[in-house]
Amino acid sequence: MPLHCRVAIVILALLASLNASAHAILTESTPKLNGSVSAGHQALALKYNSKIDQGRSRLVLIAADKSETPLAITAHADKPNELDSAADLKPGTYVIRWQALALDGHITRGDLPFTVTAAP
Amino acid sequence: MALLVDIFGYLSVILHGFVIVTQSMMLGGLLFLTFLLHPLSSRLSQGEMLERRVVRLTRWSAWGLLLSELATTALQVSVLMSTVDLPFTNVMQASFAVAGSIKMLCALLIALCLGQRSMATPLPRALLLLAGLVELAAATATTHAYARLDHNALLMAVEGLHQFGAAIWIGAIPSFVLVLRHLQDVDSLRRVGVRFSRMSMLGVACILLSGITMWVFYVGDLPGFYGTAYGVMVGAKVAMFIGLLGLGLGNFLVTERLRKGRDASVTRMRRFAEVEIGIGFTIFFAAASLTSVPPAVDLTTDRVSLHEIAVRNAPAWPRLSSPDHDTLAISQLQTQLDQDAARDHQVAQAATTPGSGILPPRNAEDIAWSEYNHHWAGIFVLLIGFMALLSRAGVRWARHWPLLFLLMAAFLLLRSDPEVWPLGQEGWWVAWRDVEVAQHRFFVLLIILFATFEWSVRTGRLKSERAAWVFPLLVAVGGAMLLTHSHQISNVKDQMLIELTHTPLALAGVAAGWARWLELRLPGRGGRVAGYVWPACFMLIGVILLWYREA
Repeated sequence: MPLHCRVAIVILALLASLNASAHAILTESTPKLNGSVSAGHQALALKYNSKIDQGRSRLVLIAADKSETPLAITAHADKPNELDSAADLKPGTYVIRWQALALDGHITRGDLPFTVTAAP
Repeated sequence: MALLVDIFGYLSVILHGFVIVTQSMMLGGLLFLTFLLHPLSSRLSQGEMLERRVVRLTRWSAWGLLLSELATTALQVSVLMSTVDLPFTNVMQASFAVAGSIKMLCALLIALCLGQRSMATPLPRALLLLAGLVELAAATATTHAYARLDHNALLMAVEGLHQFGAAIWIGAIPSFVLVLRHLQDVDSLRRVGVRFSRMSMLGVACILLSGITMWVFYVGDLPGFYGTAYGVMVGAKVAMFIGLLGLGLGNFLVTERLRKGRDASVTRMRRFAEVEIGIGFTIFFAAASLTSVPPAVDLTTDRVSLHEIAVRNAPAWPRLSSPDHDTLAISQLQTQLDQDAARDHQVAQAATTPGSGILPPRNAEDIAWSEYNHHWAGIFVLLIGFMALLSRAGVRWARHWPLLFLLMAAFLLLRSDPEVWPLGQEGWWVAWRDVEVAQHRFFVLLIILFATFEWSVRTGRLKSERAAWVFPLLVAVGGAMLLTHSHQISNVKDQMLIELTHTPLALAGVAAGWARWLELRLPGRGGRVAGYVWPACFMLIGVILLWYREA
């Protein structure tokens, strides 16, 4: 893609992203905000106040060394306001960077920091 | 490019406002043509010409909707393509993109097919109305209702009804004003006035019914109303709606007198309708900024309590002496960075990066600095309102009051952003990336413009009637823009408490602008009364500013 097209897309993207920067809000999550979970294979769930387009939303796991791992989202028709995933976690601090597309077209973003403790 | 996030976000709310305005004007124009002008056309003097003009206005509105919706949808599609890494074909299947495409198709259809010939035949007329209805249905799919977890069908119907009411009343007023401007004979005025009055009442009923239902589902309770940004914006919409109802009542009384064959001021009806357009469009922009906040019922934590509002607004003497610039948090941080760099023989870092989204540090002196600015601005505005009243009462030298606005503009430009040139380290141009700096400069420009025009008009330097309109229009626009004004303060409660002050300021600004408009455009007692109302609004703005507190 030519440079000017990329620049245009990024400008447009930023313009759109703030259209409703505070619309869909995170109401509940596993792990909780600034909470902790045990090391190992863990289910991750982010619950919102609105119905979410699960196929067009995104979850990225950011480790303490800033490495980013995209997380696959499992679509659940019976949980329309959730983004569900799972990850193998080692002890340390993490952030889930989420981007949710609400069904009304509003895009919101946020960070969910949490800690992973050694398995008992 | 990430540095421009805030400034683009602010512009996008404005763009959404244009979508609502054009959609309402297109639907309102269609309804006006179908249920008012076309049936009456043969009985009106110049009926054919009027129909042609309203058709043209409605077509232009459709083109406007097409363009603004195209821009909005393109933005949303682009963000998904670039951030979630999805192909264009996938993103275009998202519900908002489907709804946006339907809206654009309907607008295109109406723009291309609407004409006097299509309005004259029942089937094409019905098809055009159907296109409008489909557009309205698609529009409801991009409202809060579509993504709610419960009561979707009810809320979608209510959102549709709300937009329908806004279209039939506010969206149709430009068509009404256009027709009024060309109608001369009393009989035609009576026919149009009476029928539009009935249509307006239907629109008001739709807005009231849907508004109350949405209040129940989106605001919920009284703490949600005064304790959240959503509630405060709803309050602003309600206040303007009440203002519109007052003007509408004035017009209703005129049409009733006409209906009964009595004399009535058609000029007043025209002028009130003009003001209804202005306030109505301001409501649309408030609605656009309302979509950028979550409904109050979803924000159950971090609400502002009545006690906090009372504590913040407890009477206190205005702060008339400024803290020293060197004591501000940003100055102290910069001094520290300069010292560290000098010690390490390196180039000093800037204490802030405008537009980075990272909030600059704040201390008690920063709050004192900001309060000092607001309080002196309050003194300026109070004095301006007082001098305008003196001028209205015939004191000749007081007509130079607009010059005080120029002084105030210089004061604001110098002090509103202490981290920026000429007081701070940041350069003039780079600071445009910061949305707050850009908004402050925009307001300074507005002040300079309307002050210059008004002074030139009052001193006879400008004799054009239109030059006199610049002041009221820019004041009204400034008030409307203030409704979308945002202050970046990390504490959400602080932001809310500031918004509680800025919203009445915005409403007083809108009222002042349109009152001055009426003074200029409405002869007789109404205009004279308006001539006292707007300086009083300025004095109220002055008092609110003097009352302003940040801690």
